Amino acid sequence: MKIKLHHAHEARSFRVLWLLEEMGLDYDLVVHNFFDKSLRRPEYLEINPAARVPALELDGRIICESGASIEYLCEIFPEKGLGRPAGDPERMEYLDMLHYAESIGQHGANLTQAHIVLYKPEMRSPTQMNLEARRLHKGLERMERLLGDGREYLMASGFSGADCAVGFGVDLARKFISFDALPLCAAYAERIVARPAYQRALPPEGVQRIYTKDFYEAPDV
Amino acid sequence: MIRLHHIPFSRSFRILWLLEEMGLDAELKHYSITDGSLRASEFKAISPVGRVPALEIDGRTIYESGAIVEYLTETRPEHGLGRLPGDDERVPYLEWLGFAETQASVLGSLNMQHLFMGDPTPASPVVLKLEAARLAATLKAMERTLGERDWLLESGFSAADTMMGFNLFSAPYYVDMDRFENLAAYRARIEARPAYRSAREKDGQQEFYKKDFYPVPEA
Repeated sequence: MKIKLHHAHEARSFRVLWLLEEMGLDYDLVVHNFFDKSLRRPEYLEINPAARVPALELDGRIICESGASIEYLCEIFPEKGLGRPAGDPERMEYLDMLHYAESIGQHGANLTQAHIVLYKPEMRSPTQMNLEARRLHKGLERMERLLGDGREYLMASGFSGADCAVGFGVDLARKFISFDALPLCAAYAERIVARPAYQRALPPEGVQRIYTKDFYEAPDV
Repeated sequence: MIRLHHIPFSRSFRILWLLEEMGLDAELKHYSITDGSLRASEFKAISPVGRVPALEIDGRTIYESGAIVEYLTETRPEHGLGRLPGDDERVPYLEWLGFAETQASVLGSLNMQHLFMGDPTPASPVVLKLEAARLAATLKAMERTLGERDWLLESGFSAADTMMGFNLFSAPYYVDMDRFENLAAYRARIEARPAYRSAREKDGQQEFYKKDFYPVPEA
């Protein structure tokens, strides 16, 4: 199967790139610039009319939602063992976690917009930024509870595609909220970041980055 | 026993509607966003972070609406509302499930800023404008698809359509829908479905919106 991933460094497409690395699949990578108009070029709009990444091409078939891409890749490459197929005792939890990724991912995206895309402070709403940060924390409290039984990854049986979906959002959350009250999530973030496949998916040195600071503090209200 | 924890007019309506489409008996537990029932310890025991939906089924509890839709359709395939692994439409099916949440996250953000931050809202007009434009762009994508067919998938009605059960009815509070003719026809088709009607009867009174339309405030 011919696989091509359209990606922008540090964007949601990282989830899919990381999964491809975990699976050890051969693929072509097209890196788009998040900052210029390259996602709006007509050639790319043919692939993804929403002008967003990811877009995953599989033998010419295109998937643009990162969660759908992960679920489908794990399904069609069962020998990689990263999905939990129907009938698996962890199936319900696996599906829940795949979709939970978007539940926490949206707060990361909203905070990225507020802190970074809106480059002038007067464009921002401190109330909204604080509320988003609180919601992100609350969302992660669910995961903190899940990790409470000592599991290392989201599925008790071990690493899965759900970690690629959720893990990116957890790592990103560390830029916006304190993990002091989320020690298990903090240890989880360290664990995923240390994985060789995660490291291989990170942007190379010297490229333009979305996130230039380690931490973006919510403004005082 | 199936039990759905529900807030009228929220994401849990997707599940309420799907259960009706499948003809599954479920006990419905209603909560209100105004009376503190979401913070009651009884509900906290079911849903520790106090969110709906929560569906108790097959001896366990599942929370994310997209996951519930996938689980219900694959464990009860006889209703034909999912597109399971191996199906020709598996990719577009998963894509629409994901897209529904992409769109719903924009609605969730607009809801938060217009409804839950005080009146007048201290939200940023720049952000509200951006989000409304983003919502309109997602509606435009649906408008295109629904010009070619009656339901989101070519083969006919599916659980992907029920994922729109929150979106399509919240979007008109933020975007002028007049320019989306195909979406209006789609909505009418939905409203004609007996299962949808029966779900609406059980849904309850919405407490989110006090106005018919929330325009972008002047900067």
